Amino acid sequence: MTPPAAAATLPPLTLRLYIASESPNSVAATKNLYAALARHPALQVNLEVVDLLRDPERGIRDGVMFTPMLVRSEPTPERRLLGSLGNRSALLSLLGVEESAP
Amino acid sequence: MNRRSTRASGTDRMPSGVPGFDDITNGGLPRGALTVVLGAAGTGKTVFALQVLASGAREHGEPGIFVAFEENGAHILANLSAFEWADSVIPERGVHLLDAQLSQAVEHGGAFDLIGLLAVVKAKAEQVGARRIVFDGIDVLLGYLESASRVRQESFRLRDWVHESGLAAIVTAKADALGNAVQPGLELLDFMADCVVAMHHRVAHGIALRFLRVVKYRGAAHSANEFPITITHAGVEIAGNTTVEMSYPASAERISTGVERLDAMLTGGYYRGSSVLVTGVPGTAKTSLAAAFAEAAAKRGEKTLYVSFDESPAQIVRNVSSIGMSFSEHIDSGMLHLRSLRGRAESPEAHVARIRSLLSELQPKNLVIDPLSALSQFGNEPDAEGAALQVIELAKRAGITTVATSLVGNAAPLSEQTPLNVSAIADTWMHLTYLNQGGERNRTLTIIKARGTGHSNQVRELVLSGTGVTLADVYAVGGEVLMGTLRWEKENEARKARTAAHNGAVLRQKKAAVALAATSARIDDLVRQRAIQEAELERLQIDGAAEAGHRADETDELLQRRDADPEADVRGNTVPS
Repeated sequence: MTPPAAAATLPPLTLRLYIASESPNSVAATKNLYAALARHPALQVNLEVVDLLRDPERGIRDGVMFTPMLVRSEPTPERRLLGSLGNRSALLSLLGVEESAP
Repeated sequence: MNRRSTRASGTDRMPSGVPGFDDITNGGLPRGALTVVLGAAGTGKTVFALQVLASGAREHGEPGIFVAFEENGAHILANLSAFEWADSVIPERGVHLLDAQLSQAVEHGGAFDLIGLLAVVKAKAEQVGARRIVFDGIDVLLGYLESASRVRQESFRLRDWVHESGLAAIVTAKADALGNAVQPGLELLDFMADCVVAMHHRVAHGIALRFLRVVKYRGAAHSANEFPITITHAGVEIAGNTTVEMSYPASAERISTGVERLDAMLTGGYYRGSSVLVTGVPGTAKTSLAAAFAEAAAKRGEKTLYVSFDESPAQIVRNVSSIGMSFSEHIDSGMLHLRSLRGRAESPEAHVARIRSLLSELQPKNLVIDPLSALSQFGNEPDAEGAALQVIELAKRAGITTVATSLVGNAAPLSEQTPLNVSAIADTWMHLTYLNQGGERNRTLTIIKARGTGHSNQVRELVLSGTGVTLADVYAVGGEVLMGTLRWEKENEARKARTAAHNGAVLRQKKAAVALAATSARIDDLVRQRAIQEAELERLQIDGAAEAGHRADETDELLQRRDADPEADVRGNTVPS
């Protein structure tokens, strides 16, 4: 098993994960994101986790109302993925990596 | 705001700013509670909700938040610009828009919830001091949830949040034509909501008719009837008199009907502020009768609004001039205002709104609607009837005297039925019809009802001439009513008969006088004869007594001479033959 050759050339990612503290969907999303990132160590990721229960102003400012929500602001275009990130192919697509063989 | 709010039981009420809505809900929307507004697309749910926010900010100093799930804020503001309160829907005035669409650009990567949203909204509400909040198009948002059970779960979350927040919340959601929520699981929203308002519209003959119904109002009395609504530049409005309460000032003042003999039939004319319905088949001079009223009012110097359906002002002016009425003169003096509406162009409710705005703009003392039945051109629909009632009640409340005409169908030309059941609410109802007789069609007028006034129960003939409208007596002969030429003939006959009778009477009188004179003469003669006879009798009696005296003297002398018994013999011998 070799890491995908393209991984080295991947641009750095700027991600924000909006959550609502320890609510089940937010917890699931956090777990799913960290798991995916762990499987793809080649990714350069700048991740910020925003808890809307603690900082609702950020939601207004960033135009993010729903949790959990993963926003990829870099590289452009911006992409938003709503939900617990259980949909693995959608998550990997946002991260720009292919699903590695199991 | 009004005394009803103090009467409201249980929940604390909030004036809605939707005219008429507070009446049917006994005070408005519930505070600290969830109101669900259901309706198909285009029924006015969003307008209703925004109006509540605009009114809160503008009239009650209550800031509000509009959370948009379906459209973005810019789009909503653009759609609002037609409403006169649109300028209140800005943050500076206290109405804050929060874009919360899940646009196409958002991908779906699993389960989500409203926790984050409600946290953001709460922060915003605290920041602006909101008292009212709208979640617009909740079905769009909940549609992204993966199952009906999740929809229910988030619905409960929303409801609990509202109760905790203390805000008056309105949630709008799409419903099908029957008023049922279309989103699986969303029916629970109705169930758990404190108040449910259903809005719907249907199209009849190409015209949209709108309605609103308060399906549910937890812990409070409300009217569950369906009410027609209008959406005009003022926003959503419950059309017409929505409460059962009717309290109009009742005037004892009479005003002329414009037809002198009709005034007499009604013992003085119409009551001021009353409503008059004139029904009849086409061509029975309904318009002429209404025009006569309008002209008389304008002549008295009273501002009068004449609303005509499907006839232009120029046509009306021309038509009434043929019966000697000068509308143009009164239009120039500002006493008469002619307005033409196109019957089929708008819904009955829209016409009501138009008439309402004309009334408030012109403030007339009298109103003519010709014909009111134009509102029912959709057929015999309750909506149209409702609209007609609204117009009449509107005028009544403003103390405006109304004369409305109503066409009755040709199918039953002699019927006194009116397609609009307005006759029940009108104070005076006159029916015009034709009578075909002796090769003529003549118009008749019958007063079917006249509340609070004595009125003739007789049928009269309505006569139009170059000098206006007049009434003529009709002749009833053998149960038949005679009119037109037959009436004239009958009148002529009667005149002749009267002359003949008169002449006969004079003759009889003279004869009687002669007879009396003759009798008197005879009496005089007899009296004279009696006097003569009495005198004669007297004379005879005197002569008789003298004779008897003379005889007695002679008898005495004879007895003395014979020395006889006077008792015995004198009798027999002294009686003359």
